[in-house]
Amino acid sequence: MRILLVYCHPVPESFCAAIRDRAMQTLTTAGHQVDLLDLYAEGFEPVMPANERRHYNEMTLADHPFPDHAERLQAADALLFIYPTWWYGLPAMLKGWLDRVWTPDLTFRIPDGPGPIEPLMTHIQLLGVITTCGAPRWWSYLVAHPGKRTILRGMRALCGRKCKRLFMAHYLMDKSTPESRARYLAAVEKRLARI
Amino acid sequence: MRVLVVHAHPVASSFNASLFRMSVERLIKNGHEVDVINLYEDGFNPVMSETERLNYHDLEVNRQPVEAYVDRLLKAEALVLVYPVWNYGFPAILKGWFDRVFLPGVSFGLVGGKVRPTLHNISKLLVVTSYGGSRFRSWLMGDPPRRIANRMLRATIKPGAPVTYLAHYEMNLSTNKTRHAFMSRVEKALDRI
Repeated sequence: MRILLVYCHPVPESFCAAIRDRAMQTLTTAGHQVDLLDLYAEGFEPVMPANERRHYNEMTLADHPFPDHAERLQAADALLFIYPTWWYGLPAMLKGWLDRVWTPDLTFRIPDGPGPIEPLMTHIQLLGVITTCGAPRWWSYLVAHPGKRTILRGMRALCGRKCKRLFMAHYLMDKSTPESRARYLAAVEKRLARI
Repeated sequence: MRVLVVHAHPVASSFNASLFRMSVERLIKNGHEVDVINLYEDGFNPVMSETERLNYHDLEVNRQPVEAYVDRLLKAEALVLVYPVWNYGFPAILKGWFDRVFLPGVSFGLVGGKVRPTLHNISKLLVVTSYGGSRFRSWLMGDPPRRIANRMLRATIKPGAPVTYLAHYEMNLSTNKTRHAFMSRVEKALDRI
């Protein structure tokens, strides 16, 4: 499969970077084609400016603000997000990437009247989230994993009906140990080797 | 009361921006001391930098890059958020405001690795927002922003403080009538602050 791996963490030596490396290695070994999109390295600007917002509903693929990203999104069979969970959600940079890159005419079509929007990302067969959380598992479930839901339900609704989902989280990061992190990396490898 | 109003919408002529202006005017008229943060107007940068992330748990320095915002947040007795929901979440500029300003030592403390919320200066929270999708569709998606307000923010502010979440769904199908009805609901909620 062609996998677009969207990675978002400001610190190059972070644990998320280790997850990214392990994921890329595992996926490449399994014969997948991995396209890495490193948002911090690109210096992606997540704030949607006024003019983009004004034309958002009428936006067409031809005037997409990030044609390169649009093309890579269209070429992908699977999407994998690797990021730290901050305030139970996506880092602002990743949230802004969804806001500015997942535009009408590329990922969905707005109907003229009432009714749901029409999904256009139907070529995506797998949507995955691999993350780290400061909070414990029970509290993350109580707050209901807003970040996970944004991607695995909100964005998932723009993909095909048969699109599979994958979710993994290392909870209580602040109490993590070298052992817990190694175990998590091994679990990531095992899980990704199966896709 | 000292009320902090935080707004995040890029277009001044939007319905959301008019809700924001209406809220500020109403609160001033009602005799409150109103502090206004318009994130787009401030040109706020929502991206947490590498240095900020590395210093995140260092209570001596972590608030330095956003000190003015921290001071204003800690002085507030009520918090009013006016923003649109995009992709079942906050606009990036507002999400980044939480990421960078709601720091250890500001909105929570870590005691033995466990989080202890500390924003107890805020005794009222009002969220005024607008969605493109329907309430049903948002509910299907788990309505992340509603949960953030009702669970995470509620747990962060003063225990037992009232949280009011007002949302106009299906903005694309809104009419003068629905918008006016929503504005009246917002006015009533503002009068309770």
